[in-house]
Amino acid sequence: MKVEISRRRFLQGSVAMSIAGGVGLSSSSMMASVAAPAKGKLSNEDKKVATLCEMCVNKCAAIAHVRNGVVQKLDPNPLFPKSRNMLCARGNSGIRALYDPDRLKYPLIRDGEKGSGKFKRVSWDEAYAYINEKLTKILDEEKDNRSTVAFCAGEGMAEHTFKNFFTMFGSSHFLNHASLCLATTVSGYSLTIGGYGQSDLDNAKYVIMAGANRAEAIVTPDTMDFFKRTNGRGAKLITVDPRFTNTAAKSDKWLAINVGTDLAFVLALTYVAIKEERYNKAFVENYFNGFEAYKEHILSSGYTPEWAEKLTGIHAADIYEVARDFMAHAPQAIYYQGRRTTWSKNDFQLRRAQAIFSAMGGGVDVKGGICFGRGLPLIDHDVAAPIYANAKSRIEKDEAAVVGGSGSWVAFRNMVLENRSPYPIRALFNYKHNPMQNMPNSAKTEAFLKKLDLVVTIDTMPSDTVMLSDVILPECTYLERTDPVVSYGGIEPSIAQRNKAIDPMFETKNTMDIMLGLSQKVSKSLFEISKKHDEDVQMAIEEDGEEAVYKDFDLTKPFLHSQEELNAHAVEKYEGAAQMLKDKGVFYPNMNEYFKKVGVNDYEYYPENKRAYSVLNNKFKTPSGKIECAIPSLAKRGIDAMPMWKKEYEMEIPAGKFRFITGRHAQFTQSGTNNNKLLLNLVPQNYAWINARVAKKLGIKFGDKLEVSSKAGKTTIKAYPTEKIGPDTLFFVHGFGSYSKALSLAYNNGGNDAAILEDGIEPMHGSTCLHDTIVEIRKV
Amino acid sequence: MARYGMALNYKSCINCRACESACKEENGVLLLKDHYRIWVGVKEAEGEFPNISIASQTYHPSQCQHCSNAPCQMVCPTNATYYGTDGMVMVDPVKCILCTYCINACPYDARYVDQRTMTVDKCTFCSDTRLAAGETTTACQATCPTKVRVFGDLDDPKSEISQLLANKEYRQVKEHLGTKPKLFYIV
Repeated sequence: MKVEISRRRFLQGSVAMSIAGGVGLSSSSMMASVAAPAKGKLSNEDKKVATLCEMCVNKCAAIAHVRNGVVQKLDPNPLFPKSRNMLCARGNSGIRALYDPDRLKYPLIRDGEKGSGKFKRVSWDEAYAYINEKLTKILDEEKDNRSTVAFCAGEGMAEHTFKNFFTMFGSSHFLNHASLCLATTVSGYSLTIGGYGQSDLDNAKYVIMAGANRAEAIVTPDTMDFFKRTNGRGAKLITVDPRFTNTAAKSDKWLAINVGTDLAFVLALTYVAIKEERYNKAFVENYFNGFEAYKEHILSSGYTPEWAEKLTGIHAADIYEVARDFMAHAPQAIYYQGRRTTWSKNDFQLRRAQAIFSAMGGGVDVKGGICFGRGLPLIDHDVAAPIYANAKSRIEKDEAAVVGGSGSWVAFRNMVLENRSPYPIRALFNYKHNPMQNMPNSAKTEAFLKKLDLVVTIDTMPSDTVMLSDVILPECTYLERTDPVVSYGGIEPSIAQRNKAIDPMFETKNTMDIMLGLSQKVSKSLFEISKKHDEDVQMAIEEDGEEAVYKDFDLTKPFLHSQEELNAHAVEKYEGAAQMLKDKGVFYPNMNEYFKKVGVNDYEYYPENKRAYSVLNNKFKTPSGKIECAIPSLAKRGIDAMPMWKKEYEMEIPAGKFRFITGRHAQFTQSGTNNNKLLLNLVPQNYAWINARVAKKLGIKFGDKLEVSSKAGKTTIKAYPTEKIGPDTLFFVHGFGSYSKALSLAYNNGGNDAAILEDGIEPMHGSTCLHDTIVEIRKV
Repeated sequence: MARYGMALNYKSCINCRACESACKEENGVLLLKDHYRIWVGVKEAEGEFPNISIASQTYHPSQCQHCSNAPCQMVCPTNATYYGTDGMVMVDPVKCILCTYCINACPYDARYVDQRTMTVDKCTFCSDTRLAAGETTTACQATCPTKVRVFGDLDDPKSEISQLLANKEYRQVKEHLGTKPKLFYIV
């Protein structure tokens, strides 16, 4: 899109349409939608639709079997290299999410005190009008400071569509799961070896999984590739975890580590490799930057296995053995990156230390190591986004060394709550995010949401956050929408597309339609506010006339094309791709030639010599082009240039109390699936893991109800005494114990970790520390 | 006529229970307590923290063994349990009078009472759902992330299952009872 020079000042960037597209609001599709999954209501049809799962973040390819307008069964789609022909328990339960009777069905506006759970059904237009009125008032009062309105989003393919609205709107505040999840490991590996990468678990011979639990927290294709090769079948696995997880049960060695001490473990591994000169010397000499100083630092700091044993609880002999074995198997040896790495204050340094140690074996950008792979670029179709002179910068930008585009959720919330914000934050737009359950200290989150003048939430289910909103906009589920086509780079790159299996039910809409309707309603009236308060806009109007200037501020621009049209455009350069994606859900060049069935269960996606194991030619994407041992620029911001252990990382656990840890299992995805009937049939609730001998002493038996309390709050949960956890640690799975009474199965079912977690943040990105809470228990 | 059996690379099982959920959705198993055709048998870890025996914690996916010499079939007074085509042990709900002899006779605990039909139900190797529709895999097999199950014709020497059993060591469950089960655990 061409933009005239005189208005260049308004361009703050652009939004990519290829990931912003959606179906235009068509009355015919609305009329055709079914009010209930009544069988036989529509004409006889029996079809198979290629879709992508959205029960978690992996996006596995699935085939939806649709009969008479009802989705009957989901099967794995073997064509997608990333998901390797599988659907997990959650993937299989997708139909239960589609037909969950508790789904949000109509737009709702709050009709009582906030949190009362009272809402009235309104039309989409009434909902948009309500938002428009509130928003106009807020922005007028705040003199067009767009940043007084914040945006947050949960992970999902439509997150990008929502984010396009945010970009057009012009606020500085976008918040997502990054600071509650993976920010530290992504940046730790990226700043050290030039990318987060993909662990090649199909070929690695030695893997350290510390905290990461791939048998339960499934990541594709890691989980599928790896556990076919453990237990003496080609890959050695060392699991480092305070709990004996399903992953530990698959490993060659389980090292029960004291919570929060992983950094000491990695530093000691590094010490052994350096002291005994077992690392890959040629690789380090050629491709490391600043290794001599790092070596000197590790040795002079005395990070011996004997030192680490006192902190970690892991025997020095085990540390020697693991360091030696790792290097003996290198470069087919990986210190696995991990994903949800919001543990403790040292998390960023921990990931840096892991990356350096892993790279010391040379296992970067090689088969069996951490690979970066190849991408299959899509064609972007951009529109220009306006810039607003009065929009102020992020309020929490100085709360950590580097607060990126996804913000620091906890710092942001607390600044608003504690009146530390330099200007008021008055509204929140929320796409399918549940901060009430995914952020520590739910009492604070509740107070924060109540403090805002306007909370608009788009979701499929009445989550705890939905219940504290002012306006609820019901989204359709993933089986009811075609989403933006996505390219997955990697060792075996491919492009995948989610195709709509059935029309949206009830009065639900896809995010694209919601954003189109909303932007059509608010665009002009918000422009009036800018006209009133924004001198740049006033000057531009004098110069070019109002109509021309408004064109830049027209919020509807990213939402005007149909998703099918945008998807087809995005893959135009690949012959036959658009049709293939529509019919089969997956495309990659030479797919017809490469894709082969090699067994009753197994498929080959690329021949061995076409897989992108090594792509960089030893030029890593770091400032020096080498593996970075030190990052001096961070030191200026108070972040250690090299990973080191500090006294402040040590945490006392008072007698009779426990250090609390949280995590996942394979049957639920955070709080997003806790009302799913099929999954609850497999696992009815979560349990508190407590050491069996400690439990016996306290007279606690399996199933006894415990009150778990901390400085932040309390929750109740049933006990599971086990020797799979140590005497001073308490664990339960995240995502249960919802407060929302509208979730008939999830309401008050099990323990709620957000209620008891304290809300400390680490210094690098302001990511939260989920394993730094001390709790006590009481039988009730 | 085929003779269907199943080999299980049980060492690859991570107890994610995708198989159970796929089975329920494929075969319309009610979402009630104790309603399941297949399951993952979990043996809890032995030892005291932190000295847990890794080998002691195992995951054994299981289901009806479709025995060639099935005790459930022998005890059924109404012939509701019968040998179907391709050697599968089947239940005819019309003939079932819910005497539950078969439930007691089955050494593998593979049968349960369907509260909807009030008859005995169990694994059918998806014969009436998937195989009848031309599929060649069972739901539990197709969905498995680590591809534990290999289903196929034991009488076809070229089938993957026959090849697997010819070349790998395996064991069977309660073989000594003479039931001639058709589930094979690859060791």
